[in-house]
Amino acid sequence: MMKRVTLLLGIAVLAWAQPAWARIKLAALPVRERVEIQLDHGSYTLVEEERIVPLLKSSAQAGNNMIDFSWSNTSVDKDSIQFRPIAIREGDKFRPIKKIKGASGSEVDEVNVINVAYPPNENALVWEVFASEGCAVKVRVSYLISNLNRWFSYEALAEKDEDRLTLKKHLILRNYSGEDFGSAGVWAGFGPKFLKLVGQQEEIKMLVASFADVPINKTFTFDWYANGQLNPDKPKCSRVLMHYKLINDEKHNLGKFPLQPGKARIFIRDGRGGEAFLGEDVAQLTPLDGTMKLYLGEARDVVCERTLESNDRHAVRGNLFNQEIVLKYEIENFKDKACTLDIVEQMNRLAAEYGANPHGEAEWELEARTSKEIKLSFPDGRSLPVLSVQLPARPKDKDAKVEKVVVKFHVTIKNLW
Amino acid sequence: MKRTMLIASVVLAGLAVQIPTTGKNIDLVTLPGRDKVQLTIYNSEDITLVKESRSITFKKGTNQIQFSWAGTLIDPTSVRFRPLEHAGDIDVADTVISGQKPQSLVWNIESKFEGQATVEVSYFTSGLTWQMDYTAVTDPDETNMAFRGYVRVFNNSGEEYENAEVRLIVGTINLTEKIAQLARRYGVQPPAPGEAKYREMRNEAMDESISRAAGALPSPATQPPPPDKPKQIVKEGLSEYFMFAVEGSETIRNGWSKRMQAVTADNAKFDIVYRMRSHQYGPQPVRFFIWRNDSEHKLGDSPLPDGMIRVFRDNGSDGLAYLGQQLVRYVPIKAEIEVNLGVDNLVVYESRIVSTKRLNFAFDQWNNVCGWDEQQQWIEQFRNYRTKPIAVEFRRVWAGDVEYQSELPTTLYDFQTIETKFQVKARDKTEYPADVLTHQGANSKQARVKLKGPAPKPE
Repeated sequence: MMKRVTLLLGIAVLAWAQPAWARIKLAALPVRERVEIQLDHGSYTLVEEERIVPLLKSSAQAGNNMIDFSWSNTSVDKDSIQFRPIAIREGDKFRPIKKIKGASGSEVDEVNVINVAYPPNENALVWEVFASEGCAVKVRVSYLISNLNRWFSYEALAEKDEDRLTLKKHLILRNYSGEDFGSAGVWAGFGPKFLKLVGQQEEIKMLVASFADVPINKTFTFDWYANGQLNPDKPKCSRVLMHYKLINDEKHNLGKFPLQPGKARIFIRDGRGGEAFLGEDVAQLTPLDGTMKLYLGEARDVVCERTLESNDRHAVRGNLFNQEIVLKYEIENFKDKACTLDIVEQMNRLAAEYGANPHGEAEWELEARTSKEIKLSFPDGRSLPVLSVQLPARPKDKDAKVEKVVVKFHVTIKNLW
Repeated sequence: MKRTMLIASVVLAGLAVQIPTTGKNIDLVTLPGRDKVQLTIYNSEDITLVKESRSITFKKGTNQIQFSWAGTLIDPTSVRFRPLEHAGDIDVADTVISGQKPQSLVWNIESKFEGQATVEVSYFTSGLTWQMDYTAVTDPDETNMAFRGYVRVFNNSGEEYENAEVRLIVGTINLTEKIAQLARRYGVQPPAPGEAKYREMRNEAMDESISRAAGALPSPATQPPPPDKPKQIVKEGLSEYFMFAVEGSETIRNGWSKRMQAVTADNAKFDIVYRMRSHQYGPQPVRFFIWRNDSEHKLGDSPLPDGMIRVFRDNGSDGLAYLGQQLVRYVPIKAEIEVNLGVDNLVVYESRIVSTKRLNFAFDQWNNVCGWDEQQQWIEQFRNYRTKPIAVEFRRVWAGDVEYQSELPTTLYDFQTIETKFQVKARDKTEYPADVLTHQGANSKQARVKLKGPAPKPE
């Protein structure tokens, strides 16, 4: 255990030596009573130390109390250091600091920080503190420190039928600050407050929250322009990506706080009392009511073939025209469960590929030959329609063929030139 | 260590002692110490006006007074000598800056007076600087704050200043040359540590310091009581500047810095505003604490100089939560103080285009499209997951010839920026819909946003 941050109380003797002042410190060393590590800010970590500092009565002969605070091999932000007297010990208890009549007749605090002096070429400072009487005062010394950081990680355990999961959120405290904090309170700004031994060069993983029975939606997404051709043998097919979608609200047994970014490891119950690893993803910041998408990988049992069935240009005037397009999707679900395939069409790229530069957001209209099986939605705006298609499970009969679901998306992209 | 020395001497013909390094005949008479020193430190430039008063014994006739400042950053051209007593009888005949003797000058003083007189020596030095920093601690509800401003004086001048009257100037002054450059330009450079001359000068300075310290040490009976509260910083206007004068005197040792409380405001109210300006702050709303440097906010005694503001929240159990920090520029009296605390995960903004149409096409002589209008409907949504209502200021820049219409009151911040302000209730959301018509190509006749009346509410 190595303490790098020290609080020295006593007489700072200034001795003459060489061209600079050298400081000889004679001091009692009040130990830390308590340490709080505040991690609620994403970029800065605030450390608060509580110490009981014995103070001598300030007098003309002795002057004020000089409290020396120094640190080495740690990156303490010198300008952020605060010394806050909180209470004075009376017997076994502490009482608030009172106002008294000062030498000038005005009201002053019984314990008062007069100024702070910073010695040259040292990671140290000296507080000059007035005390009306000799006392033991509870102080909080707070400072921002580098290399004491927090991370979040998630562990998701899905039920075998993939309709629910248990989500565990962990706080990971990494202490490479060079300081040994001992037993310290740790708080991320939400969730429980932890009391942990925080040694240097230690990483401590703490369970912040466990959400059971979180309903999930397993999605299959086909996006031709995002993922391209599957392979030369299947030139009209593209990858189908799988995600778990979790909605961060109370209805879905979440919604306690925003879910911070972090690595998520996803497991699934294997039905035999064990678990299988499904993969991992980096979860993005998910605000309350937002949707967390966890990428699971590529679905090999859902196959979608996209064909441009017709592509007709209708002149309007001069070089202005409308482009009428019919896209056909032939989808096969080889899974033993029904599912929904979400087809994302990027209308701006569709317009540019088969028509012309859309000059901004493509203007388009849905036409009559669009299949009724398609459920259309616009979660990311009008230019990124999502075509949701229900797919039946593969037939249970061994000899029966998988049904090919064929749907059409019939649109006119208007006013191109 | 004291580096500036004042040596009063009388040229005595026939009693000359040859000193090779100076080439002068000097008879050392006295080594007068400082009686008083005043520092006026500027923060816009690395310049400090030092005024020292010392008592010197003059003889009738020519007096030579040597002033030296080895190891400091004094501008030799700025050193002035002024008698504070018997001014009519004491004149500076000339000032000699010798290239032979490093960092010193000699005044030839013609005196009609014989006896002791107080003189003032003033000069510009470099290496003394000051800066402000601020701390704001809000209550747990974030409605009031305790605001503190601190001045920190840095002494890297090479000179010790004990019991100095310290005055700090807020404002920007004009200098044609840097003091530190002027300090290094004149005369030969001072000896380096380790050289015999350096040791000699150090010993001289030490002797002087020890003898002064011994003489200056007050007896316990005469020692004043130590301060029981932070020293008051008196603020007053001075031309276009403001002066912060530290109560009493301060000792700022060479190499050290000292931080003193200069601004205090307890229970000061402040506003919390969320600003959505993607062109300025990025894609998410940022949280601002806003208050004014005025009496309503327990401030307004003086401008607030540039400095870092660190904002904390009292967590209700003797502890603090760190909210953020920002460097604020000079805040005049009654001006607003704004601190950007960054993105708040509990306030969410989303925007989307729900429809796009093109119309009013214009064609050129070859019947090609040369102009058109684009009509879009936008929805900006703000969701507040905090337990208190929030104030939102929304600005968006639109390029080109734009006609803008919204059902919510909207104004123009400038020719191309719309602005609207509204509240979002606690744990609620507000949508800000807008119809935007952009004239493109030949249809574009202007480069500005024109506000139209409120858009009809969607059915």
